[in-house]
Amino acid sequence: MDAGDSSRLRFERGGPSVRTLKKEYLLHIMLLPGVIVTLIYAYGPMAGLVMAFQQFEPLSGFFHSKFVGFDNFKYVFNMPDFKQVLWNTVLIAVIKMVLFLLVPLILALLLNEVTKRWFSRFIQSAVFLPFFLSWTVLGGVIIELFSLSGPVNGLLAAMGLKPIMFMLDNEWFRGIVIGSDVWKGMGYNMIVMLAAITGINATLYEAAEVDGAGRWKQMIHITLPGMAPILILLGVLSLGGILNAGFEQILIMYNPTVYEGADIIDTFVYRLGMFSQQFGPAAAVGLFKSVISLVLVSVTYYAAYKYNNYRIF
Amino acid sequence: MNMKKINPWKMILLVTMSLSLFTACSSQGKDTAGPAADPSSKEEKKSTDAPPEPLGKYPETVTVTEVLGYNPPEDPRTPKGITPDQNAYLKDLKDMLNIEVKYKWTVPSSQFEQKFSLAMASADLPDIMELDQKNFEKLKKQGMLADLTEAYNDYASPELKKYMESDGGFAMKTFTEDGKLLAIPAFEDPFLSTQLLWLRKDWLENLKLEPPKTMEELDKVAQAFVKNDPDQNGQNDTYGVSLQKNLFFWAYDLRGFFNGFGAYPSIGDNQSAWIKDSSGKLIPGLIQPEVKTALGKLQSWYKDGILDKEFALKDENKAVEDITAGKVGIVYGEWWYPNYPLNLNVDKDPKAEWIAIQIPGLDGPGKSLVPKIRSGKVYAVNKKMKNPEAAIKMINFYIEKGKKKYMEQNKAENGYVYNWFNPRIYNPAQIETIYTEVNKALDAKQTEITLDDENYKNVADVFKATQDYLAGNTANASKGVNWGQYFSRAAKDGGWGMTRQIKESGAFVNNEFFGLPTETQVEKGAQLDKLMQESFTKIIMGGSLDEFDKFVQSWKSLGGDQITQEVNDWYSKQAAK
Repeated sequence: MDAGDSSRLRFERGGPSVRTLKKEYLLHIMLLPGVIVTLIYAYGPMAGLVMAFQQFEPLSGFFHSKFVGFDNFKYVFNMPDFKQVLWNTVLIAVIKMVLFLLVPLILALLLNEVTKRWFSRFIQSAVFLPFFLSWTVLGGVIIELFSLSGPVNGLLAAMGLKPIMFMLDNEWFRGIVIGSDVWKGMGYNMIVMLAAITGINATLYEAAEVDGAGRWKQMIHITLPGMAPILILLGVLSLGGILNAGFEQILIMYNPTVYEGADIIDTFVYRLGMFSQQFGPAAAVGLFKSVISLVLVSVTYYAAYKYNNYRIF
Repeated sequence: MNMKKINPWKMILLVTMSLSLFTACSSQGKDTAGPAADPSSKEEKKSTDAPPEPLGKYPETVTVTEVLGYNPPEDPRTPKGITPDQNAYLKDLKDMLNIEVKYKWTVPSSQFEQKFSLAMASADLPDIMELDQKNFEKLKKQGMLADLTEAYNDYASPELKKYMESDGGFAMKTFTEDGKLLAIPAFEDPFLSTQLLWLRKDWLENLKLEPPKTMEELDKVAQAFVKNDPDQNGQNDTYGVSLQKNLFFWAYDLRGFFNGFGAYPSIGDNQSAWIKDSSGKLIPGLIQPEVKTALGKLQSWYKDGILDKEFALKDENKAVEDITAGKVGIVYGEWWYPNYPLNLNVDKDPKAEWIAIQIPGLDGPGKSLVPKIRSGKVYAVNKKMKNPEAAIKMINFYIEKGKKKYMEQNKAENGYVYNWFNPRIYNPAQIETIYTEVNKALDAKQTEITLDDENYKNVADVFKATQDYLAGNTANASKGVNWGQYFSRAAKDGGWGMTRQIKESGAFVNNEFFGLPTETQVEKGAQLDKLMQESFTKIIMGGSLDEFDKFVQSWKSLGGDQITQEVNDWYSKQAAK
């Protein structure tokens, strides 16, 4: 993702000529399976969005269900819970987004300073490991960990503190949801960032050392600016998920007592679609989510280009 | 990784829907998603020359698809590791009728509702379906259900017909539309729903307490069960009343507790109850002031540690664990508890002894809510199925298997798991038959029961367990298992025994609404349910009791008033009939 890369991409934007197409047709053929899969699994299902405007009956299908215009949207937006749910979603997602950049960044910078190879390797693997665990398993573990008879409360009791019902308290629950998700997922971004650090030209550091810059100065003036493109990339991509607060995780961990603080759009849609079988409204919320994400991604992408002259794609 | 989080359920939904769209566009007899696609069932030709026989064997194998949500086998003697496919009932079905059951999928019961919703959403339905009323209503509206009138008239065995007519054909009429019978309802004696209070008698004796008759006395007992070490193990490890996160569930819930306050919020499974007010109209029990009083009591119980502090995190399995482990000594519920899970506790702790009493009320024993009809499940057939009569024959088969001649073989240890087999229709008067027949045999000091019809197995099983229990014989089954059979079905002061007494004394209130769920109930039900769960749980855990008044307002404006109207419309139509 360095400067040369993006300039080449820009050059090709004029559209490939017949000559280059002939020369590169093999590459295009190799691209084909990916394109087909995307068409089938990403574009195909978009036809289902028509449900958002229908009073959808599964067995009548898309063709015979009644069209109701924007009724589904009105219905959902007028539901009393919707505002709370939207707020929860944005709050949880934004905090997660920020932490997903911040925590791995700090970890990557720290690891970069570690000189013992084996130690940094070990930490990398250890941090990355929870990423592969499924929430189905981890959710249960976390509920047990934070239950009244769990080890966390045991620790509190040993310190002479009062037990806390973490999973039944709206504020605590939100914290645990955010904390555990960041803990589980931080390894991924950390690896990406470490790779970015490795990509920084080593001569820059040598020059800095000659100029008398210490480790700290080097980090501020070389490592961080060198990582800027990847940080922007990660940031922009995660913005698309601003309304994704972590469906699986919350579905597994929540309970009626914390609906108030942890019911998010996805769990809301899930209950609407799966238990009330109101597919139309559920699809409407899904579409609403996608439109917001699309707008946000487009805006940040454009802004990154306009003000930083930086392009991702 | 925050950038590509895919919502898996929505994904599945979308993919299956788009797939069904594609197949709908391109299907030319190659209907891969359709349930009737099984070639063997298509090739089957209906033999028109032979007269219909309820238990006639098909000349060629008929394959029937089903789906199943299942619990572990109830009987501990069942071979370990058995799966629904290996159920001995299915083998017999193949031998006797040449019907082969194929499960499209099987999941633990707790996931069934979700999974079935998905199947409905993708129109991927099996041939024979076990439906609740809500799903029945949906599939009916979409014209997915086969007309069973002919199949029933031609093929139903005399026993099945007897059962169906035992209520004057009332339940069947409920599931008939425009003269077409769309489902076979599995209805039972409504008093099976009567709420009782189950108590650890040995704990009462340890603490020199009497079984409680009033709420006040129950309060004292529950307090003592928390504080006074009822199991006398020197540890503070017990609590009062069993509860899991669903306040109105099918077990380990609080229906009976609310009934004790003259409050009738629900008939279980989160469905509202409807009672008659003084003007003869139906009113929702859920929003009456008595409910508030009861919630107030629960709040103080929660504070005193009578309820588990983390009940809102517990599912039914956790509740059962606590009962089995002897951590809790009071639980509200129906007649069948001794059969499960109390038997587990009895086996674990030889000192454990349970009794059933009428629910304590405000002054003297309270009145339990009892439905007008009890028909949770119905069996319906997919319209695409080629042999709808196979469903009727399978019901005949299940009833037939209860006869004496199959007794030797039809045992749990041989891999017969009755509650995995569908479609399954019981004798609506089964429990009463068992109770009277077993007691008759006991009183006459018989060693064998005299009855010889399709009820034989059910009666003989209980009689045998009863004899074993009374003689202290544990050669065939553990003490808990024998006791469970005896105390749930045959004991005069046991589950059904107490229920009968309540029935006779008239100490019950009827749930007056027994129609199919109304339009608004189907549409808004889940939302109202969430509102109730959230508000009530919060109040119990120490929220302001005035939240209840807010809840009532929201409930009414979010569709509750509309539902009340619809229910009353139904009621006046019913009265006119």
